[in-house]
Amino acid sequence: MRPQALIAEITHRCPLHCVYCSNPLAMRPRGEEMDASVWARIFREAAELGVLHVHLTGGEPAARADLEELVRAGRSANLYVNLITSGIGLSEQKLDALIAAGLDHLQISFQDAEESAANEFAGARAHARKLALAEVARTRSVALTVNAVMHRRNLERLDAIVAMAERMGADRLEVANVQYYGWAIENRDKLLPTRRQLGACVAAVEAHQQRLLGRMRIDFVPPDYFARYPKACMGGWGRSLMVVDPAGWVLPCHAAGVIPDLRFENAQLRPLGWIWEESAAFRRFRGEDWMPEPCRSCERRHEDFGGCRCQAMLLTGNPNATDPVCSLAPDRKLVDAAIARANAAGGDGTGWVYRIDPA
Amino acid sequence: MTAASIPRLARGCRLSETAAQGWVLLIPEGVLRLSGPGPRILQRCDGSRTFGDIVRELEGEFAGAAAGRVESETSAFLDRLAQRRIIVTE
Repeated sequence: MRPQALIAEITHRCPLHCVYCSNPLAMRPRGEEMDASVWARIFREAAELGVLHVHLTGGEPAARADLEELVRAGRSANLYVNLITSGIGLSEQKLDALIAAGLDHLQISFQDAEESAANEFAGARAHARKLALAEVARTRSVALTVNAVMHRRNLERLDAIVAMAERMGADRLEVANVQYYGWAIENRDKLLPTRRQLGACVAAVEAHQQRLLGRMRIDFVPPDYFARYPKACMGGWGRSLMVVDPAGWVLPCHAAGVIPDLRFENAQLRPLGWIWEESAAFRRFRGEDWMPEPCRSCERRHEDFGGCRCQAMLLTGNPNATDPVCSLAPDRKLVDAAIARANAAGGDGTGWVYRIDPA
Repeated sequence: MTAASIPRLARGCRLSETAAQGWVLLIPEGVLRLSGPGPRILQRCDGSRTFGDIVRELEGEFAGAAAGRVESETSAFLDRLAQRRIIVTE
């Protein structure tokens, strides 16, 4: 079993304060961030392990002054370099420098197609600057993905968001419903959609996919609270992905820090290959030995690998529990109650918990 | 795909030869493992050759193939990739 992709959280600093940020609540301060030379070594070790893609993410990757060096290091290691960015801090000149350094794919997050709403969800006046960067990227040689983060307050504007991505000449649109970890859990009652909204969204996405076939690829990420079966989280624990945080701690999933008894290793101290193969954190939920019933005898266990361990921890307090979003899970009632509570609460623009910046 | 179409890899899609996995096509958020004539087809999708040129060159390499087979299989392969916006044509 070889990792296919490395998710490199190169900083937790970010000029945005999104209400659904997937970063952990406890973030790494600037003083713990690793130098580009250490990242370069990690990228080479990852490539030797069989990794093909590196996803440079954050926080906001452009908050680092040496981003160009990091892109070059990824490409020099023979990796496909994807930059996941808010777009803030990337001028035309800086983007061109990243492209010259070997950037393959630019993924810009959008909070909405409507400026005031987008800025409300981001907790920052960011939307106009994102549009400006997308306009530059339209004519450049990197692939452009628009990553639209969806939830109850903007699902009604899906058509406008698709139209926005078309105007940008995006190669790919990710209609990514919020997943409930990190800061999103804090705002869950205000973000969870209704079943009716979601049904309309699914139908609309399918129609747009047909209409745009060959022009713009649309990938849909559903909110798993509404699913019948859990998602194959991270493609299975320790099966295809590894996350390295700004300080070098290596996690099977970016949210894995919520599981209290996992012991993580640091890529500054241990070879990445050893961490992948041998470390306790990666072995903990790899394979099927950890599975309780009904997962253990479920015929879907090879497809969803038992769902998400972090979600089991967050919702039931037990990381070994069957993912509570599963319709077969003993704790499914917790998810249904969360949906009912959120739908009853309605939602307006007040009371958001905004993501803070690390020290 | 018509004889005059000029297929090329979309931006952000590139071929890479890896030690462990052979020829792969790297695309945004994905990897296609290539086998058989795949790499030889895609190496020719460089924006300078027409589909007709590509088929003629491949027919030279696969001289034993039944008449029309290289064309139909190459066309089907590239059409599938075009639907996923991995190949674009002019």
